Parts: sequence; C-alpha cells; structure tokens
Amino acid sequence: MSLATLYPWLKALHVVSAFFFVAGTVTTSMVLAAERANPGSVEPVAGFLAKSERWLTTPAMLLVWAFGLTLAVTAGWFSSTWLQIKFAFVVVLSAVHGIQSGQLRRLVRNKALKPRTTLPLILVCVMAVLVLVVVKP
Amino acid sequence: MSDDYESTQLRWLGMLSVLEATTLVLLVAVAVPLKHIAGWNVAVHVMGPVHGLAFLGYCWAAIQAIAEGGWSRSEAVRLFAVAFIPFAGFANARLIARKSAALRTGVVQ
Repeated sequence: MSLATLYPWLKALHVVSAFFFVAGTVTTSMVLAAERANPGSVEPVAGFLAKSERWLTTPAMLLVWAFGLTLAVTAGWFSSTWLQIKFAFVVVLSAVHGIQSGQLRRLVRNKALKPRTTLPLILVCVMAVLVLVVVKP
Repeated sequence: MSDDYESTQLRWLGMLSVLEATTLVLLVAVAVPLKHIAGWNVAVHVMGPVHGLAFLGYCWAAIQAIAEGGWSRSEAVRLFAVAFIPFAGFANARLIARKSAALRTGVVQ
C-alpha cells in the first residue's frame, strides 16, 4: 500500500484522535473550573473523569502525536511555517492537558486545587490549530 | 485514588526519565560521532525522532507530576534540567525513588 493511499486514512485517524483529545481536555477544564467555583461539587464524577483521562484522553493525545508526526513526515511539511506554528500550539495544548491531569489527580486525592483557569488558553490553541491546518498560510 | 496508583505513576516517570536519558546518550555519544567521523547519517535519522518522542513523553509526565504537587521549586527545575544533560536522567531515578518512598510514608503533600 502506497503512502498516497494511506494518507486519507492517517488524516482521518488523526482527526478522530484530535476530537477525543480536545473533548477530554475541554471537559476536564470545565470540571476543574466548577470545582474551584464550588468546592466539593464535582466530587461524585472526579473518579470517573480521572479514569477517562487515563484511558481515553491521554491515549488520544498519544495517537494525535503519532498520526500527526507520521502525516508531517509523509507529506514533507516539517519545513512549512504553518506546521511549525501549529506544532507550538499543540505543545502548549499537551502541556495544559498534563497540568489538568495532575490537578485532577489532586482532586481525586481530596487536595486543594491551584487557581488556574485553562479554558481560554485551550480554546485559543484549538482555534489556532484548526485555522492553521485548514488554511495552511 | 490509591497510593499504589501514585507509585505506579512515579514509576512511569522514572522509566521515561531513563528512556529519555538513554536515547540522548545514544544520539550524542553514538549517532552524532558516526555522522561526523564516518559520514554515516542513518543513526542520526533514526535516533533523532526516537529521542524527540522520548523527550516529549518525559516532559509531559514531568508536567503532570509537578501539577499534582509535592515537588519543591528546585526539584521541579531539576526534573526539566536533567532532560538536557546526557546521563543526568539516570541520576533522576534516585530523586523519583525518594518521592515514591515519601508517598508511601505519607510525607508528600
């Protein structure tokens, strides 16, 4: 099977993984914000969310990276400015996910959360990534 | 979430630290000299991306661990600094083992 044949499949799997990753990251951000606003309010769902984080969002992030890097290599996009800027936004998004994942584990262990608001940063990163990958300026 | 789970997470961080350190050593001490002395580029082309992925994986795990708390500022800086110094990642395993022991005795906040 040639790379040209594989390309749409790699792209589709990259997009599917990205959807799950962003959905999980936004959900965690909102749940953590709700907990900060009203301590104790999300305790019943914290354990479930931590499991989702471990078995869905984090594997989705790894697949986003794996399929994304494979796509960039096969298409020869690494020297493109749009991809380098997109790469920076994805690194920030992954770092935010790491911070939230750590905060969620604090929540599950009944420890106080740090006052960090992540949702605006996540939304800006997602919008920037989508514009860059669609327009490829 | 149990302390066993937390210990597992710290073990993962320790394993990623050793993996990152090993790939960095292979890149700097084997692949790069092979390229410049023997003109053999394949090792750099293989080890470059492998180390890049190991580096990203370790940094993500370190960010997660620091966000969870229980690390002083100097320990947090050390966790990231070791990723840039060949062989330092191996010494990092001791710091992580100490953290794991502190977790078991309930010292980590």
